[in-house]
Amino acid sequence: MKVDRRSFLGLGLGAVAGVAVSPIGMKLTDDSSIWTQNWPWTPVPVDGEVTYENSVCSLCPGSCGLSVRKIDDRPVKIEGLAEHPVNDGGACLHGIAGLQYLYDPARVKTPLKKNGDKFEEISWDDAIALVAGKLADLRKKGSPEKLACIADKEQGSVSGLFQRLLKTFGSPNFYTMPSLESYLEVTATALHGEGMTIGFDLENSDFVLSFGSGIIEGWGSPVNCFKANASRKARHAKLYQIESRLSNTAANADKWIPVKPGTEADLALGMCAVILKNNLFDGGATANFIGGFNKLAIMIQKEYAPSKTAEITGVKASDIEKIATLFAKAKMPVAVFGKGRGDGAQSLKELAAVHTLNCLVGNINKKGGAFVQLKSDYLEFPDESMDTIADAGFAKNKTGRYVNQLVEKVNESSKPVVEALFVYNANPCYSLHDSKSVKQAIGKIPFVVSFSSFLDETAKEADIVLPSHTFLERLEDVPSCAGLAKSVVGLTKPVIEPVFDTKHAGDAVILIAKALEGSIAESFEWETYDECLESVAAGIWDSLSEDGYAIISEGVPFGSVAVNVSFLADNPATVQARGDYELTLIPIDNMRLINAGIAASPFAIKTVSDKVLKGSDIVVEINPLTAKGLKDRGYATLTTPTDTARVMINLNEGMMPGVIGMVEGLGHTFDNKYVSNKGINVNDLIGPVIESGSGLDAAFGIKVKISKA
Amino acid sequence: MSEIENKTENGSTESAGECTTGDTKDDKGLGLGVIFFIVAFVGCFLSGTLLFPKLLYSKKEQPFNFDHALHVGEAGDCESCHSFREDGSFTGIPKLDTCLDCHSEEALGETDDEAVFVEEYVLEEKEVPWYVYSRQPDCVFFSHAAHTQTAGMDCVTCHGHIGESTSLKPYEENRITGYSRDIWGKNIFGIKKHSWDRMKMDDCAECHKKETGHKGYCFQCHK
Amino acid sequence: MKQNNNKAHKFGMVIDLDKCTGCGSCMVSCMSENNVPFKEDESNKKDSITWMRVYKLTNGKSFPDTEIVYMPRPCQHCGGKGDHGHSPCVSVCPAVATDYGYDTGIVSQIYTRCFGCRYCMGACPYHARYFNWWDPKWPEGMENYLSPNVSPRMRGVVEKCSFCYHRYQAARDTAYYEGRDDIEEHEYQTACTTACPAGAIVFGDLNNPAHKVHQIVKPDPHPDPRNKHVVGKSRNPKVFRLLERLGTNPKVYYLSEREWVRKQGDNYLDGEWDKIKNHHGAASHG
Repeated sequence: MKVDRRSFLGLGLGAVAGVAVSPIGMKLTDDSSIWTQNWPWTPVPVDGEVTYENSVCSLCPGSCGLSVRKIDDRPVKIEGLAEHPVNDGGACLHGIAGLQYLYDPARVKTPLKKNGDKFEEISWDDAIALVAGKLADLRKKGSPEKLACIADKEQGSVSGLFQRLLKTFGSPNFYTMPSLESYLEVTATALHGEGMTIGFDLENSDFVLSFGSGIIEGWGSPVNCFKANASRKARHAKLYQIESRLSNTAANADKWIPVKPGTEADLALGMCAVILKNNLFDGGATANFIGGFNKLAIMIQKEYAPSKTAEITGVKASDIEKIATLFAKAKMPVAVFGKGRGDGAQSLKELAAVHTLNCLVGNINKKGGAFVQLKSDYLEFPDESMDTIADAGFAKNKTGRYVNQLVEKVNESSKPVVEALFVYNANPCYSLHDSKSVKQAIGKIPFVVSFSSFLDETAKEADIVLPSHTFLERLEDVPSCAGLAKSVVGLTKPVIEPVFDTKHAGDAVILIAKALEGSIAESFEWETYDECLESVAAGIWDSLSEDGYAIISEGVPFGSVAVNVSFLADNPATVQARGDYELTLIPIDNMRLINAGIAASPFAIKTVSDKVLKGSDIVVEINPLTAKGLKDRGYATLTTPTDTARVMINLNEGMMPGVIGMVEGLGHTFDNKYVSNKGINVNDLIGPVIESGSGLDAAFGIKVKISKA
Repeated sequence: MSEIENKTENGSTESAGECTTGDTKDDKGLGLGVIFFIVAFVGCFLSGTLLFPKLLYSKKEQPFNFDHALHVGEAGDCESCHSFREDGSFTGIPKLDTCLDCHSEEALGETDDEAVFVEEYVLEEKEVPWYVYSRQPDCVFFSHAAHTQTAGMDCVTCHGHIGESTSLKPYEENRITGYSRDIWGKNIFGIKKHSWDRMKMDDCAECHKKETGHKGYCFQCHK
Repeated sequence: MKQNNNKAHKFGMVIDLDKCTGCGSCMVSCMSENNVPFKEDESNKKDSITWMRVYKLTNGKSFPDTEIVYMPRPCQHCGGKGDHGHSPCVSVCPAVATDYGYDTGIVSQIYTRCFGCRYCMGACPYHARYFNWWDPKWPEGMENYLSPNVSPRMRGVVEKCSFCYHRYQAARDTAYYEGRDDIEEHEYQTACTTACPAGAIVFGDLNNPAHKVHQIVKPDPHPDPRNKHVVGKSRNPKVFRLLERLGTNPKVYYLSEREWVRKQGDNYLDGEWDKIKNHHGAASHG
């Protein structure tokens, strides 16, 4: 027998046949298909027990109740909490995307200290010691008032602790960022007196006359407003929207009344004039007018007659009369103010003029009207102990009335007017007008401490970052402000152990106070923030901890309120947009983006239309008539009195001719590629215009020109 | 005949007429070829059947032995540890907390395995990283409630008599897929004698077809 | 073993476009519920995966008569011609990676079975299907929020809205455990429905007269006399479906008071709309 080629052939064939008959082929095919269906890098989420934890959202002043679904210890989904007094189920996209903030790439993972241009990590102990040391020096120098603080709001216990620290330290310089609530208070103070605020009973009103308020664009408590708006049809209620752009609110309204930007105040006064002239006002209500009524009545008949108002505002005189009449004759009318989301620039003239409409038709403290009442104060802090330095410092005047004046003073002065600055839950370097000059001011302050959870635009300018827990990791009382008819305090609860080495800002303040020793430390006797909250909110703690919220006031408030319109009677000048160009650039509030505080989440950015953001280009809205030679989706150069910007064009028939709209909330520059370096920040382009008298930044826009890029 | 000639001739066997002569001449060669064929066939078949599984699966020992029979005796039945939650979802392999309903830092018995359990997991408050023989890919949705509560099936139908075992067999992990050998079944040909021998999609479908008249729609078992 | 679908469901949705504010809650709730990934640039909407997408419709008139309406678009879960389950996508899938659940009316998508030929995307008249051009990637630590109820997808497969089928499964698990035969309306609601702050989305069983969705839509169970492929036409004159005359028989209905919105639900030749705008289900043929 010879081993020949055929033998090998036999061997080969045998091997092939053997393998073919063996299970190898079948098994490998099966296994490899399973392998390719389950790549090892595709995450496999771990299963476990489903539980739900209730909390409250504090991403915006809306304060919606949340239900957080967890798998074992892992939160996996946020939804609106049913039967919560603010939102009753349903949530906005930012709240639902809340978990993305927990793991945000821009989160500050541990305390940071600036060394040259770079941050380096330091321990909490060192960071607190460093801050306390700097502050102690400031006190030693005898200028405690040179410590300032910018927070998001005045209400709530964490803000309360900051205010307490400043006061016991000896500084009156506590500032808040502009918000709808702050404007409501400013308006109430101007018309009704100190300590008052305003709420709107939108869910009962049968005629809502909105002066540009983005009722479904994030104005007020967004979900609550969405619900009130959605129930309109069933209640046979009407919404008239006065705005220069066909916003979503205008589109959803029963009638859209386009108005020249910045003339809302004049239109409101024009309507007041119609109501007065035609005796449509509520006789009883006018008895509450204690100052300036007659003067105002005479002034507006002269200055704001329909034809004259029509000329100023671009709204037909007949429409002004018709709408004013409809408003006055409605059963439960309410006029709503605060342009856009209500947290941008506003003029007191406008706010007061619109609210005067409410006062005239007598819907104050009536069902479906405007509720004017004392600010709710549910916190009881024990008396501070003040030493002489504190007393002297605290008695001094505030450096500026509002935060924008503080910025101005810092920039103007050659000597440092502020030596140290705390920033909590606020991002002034992004949200205030002319962010460049804000950055410059922050840069001039020798010692800036940020309590931000993220390395945002302001935190980047800080010398020390003491990172806070996000709202999902902390306990905190969250008062709903934002123009709700009822006053509710919710309790934010930690739904997960802190992901990073962060601290509750309340705890950080307590630690700083303790490190400062003396009377300051004496005023902060709590061991932890949680302990502090339980004691200062003792009055409502039972219901807060059991139900997750406490209702401070609900329903129509009792009694009439005095109205003083002297401010308006003097006919203050209407604020004009800066510059001489022909067109007006106005900011657009888009529900899917956020302007104040934090940036929108990656999920929220994903939902943004390509007619708002395309790649890294911002898209501006312009009426085809105004666009002239510009092409839809083409590029253009936008020129403001101080700056230029490259933008993409979106020809939009919903834009009033002569007006260009640019969305707010883009153009972030921090370290999160999913939300940063997209478009530009409209606040960079618009400079502040201070309203004389009120001191508010009332720049509703800026004059621009646009040309092909 | 030289090999070269042979080759040439074979090479020309393409024309049919010459085949017969070629055949008779090469009887021996063919015989050897057949033997080679058989040897190779048997060799490859056997290695595909016997050696291949050894290469395909890597054996892994469980963290420590678990005596199901003993626990069933003490606790009562499967549901005592492998229970449903109130929402109808199934807990599967118990978490440490469930073990601690009976166990504590003091050992209940005297086995070395329990000593390991207490020292390495109870005292350290660590979950036991069990290898799960019945683990399915992530795309699979399985409702225990539908099968045991509504359809009234018992655990044995799918899981076999694991409840009567006193020791855990080694976990054989498929090196390609990462899943247990028990899914395809111990038999490398995929032949099953009992309903619990395999846990592939076809096995689910087979039973569904028999019991409900329909294999089921994709989403019934996939997520 | 008893099969539980002695009476088949037909899950569907009606979206009130007059209530929709275009806020985007439904989109984000869907993404968060279904482990939908995100990438650095999502402004190229052709490769941006959004199972639920909100479109902006305009009436095309110039200032100041312009009107805007937002239209959320999940997978329409088509019943196909004659509502026999031959959905456009199911019919073309060569891998049986998508099928029609006759017990629920829901069109499935099985990622592990899909090999990415994208025929279904071509077949879908609603652009409701999305292809994973890249492997999903989450920033460090963010995988921790992924839900175990929906398996994350890999590169090269198609995905789409499932009407949150896992919520149906979870509801059924509870029902089975409690010894109930079927689930209640409130037990199975999609993530977009529960998220909508305006309450614009109503979800339920179109076959169940007790369900709100049935009461609003009032679907006509008979084929449309003018087009036998169309089944389930709404008897509510304000309710319409997208491209209804194709006979895809979607289970997503839309409601609007505005005629121009209803007209945009399909493409009409000149004059065609006026002829058919008053034809509705059942009532039109007794």
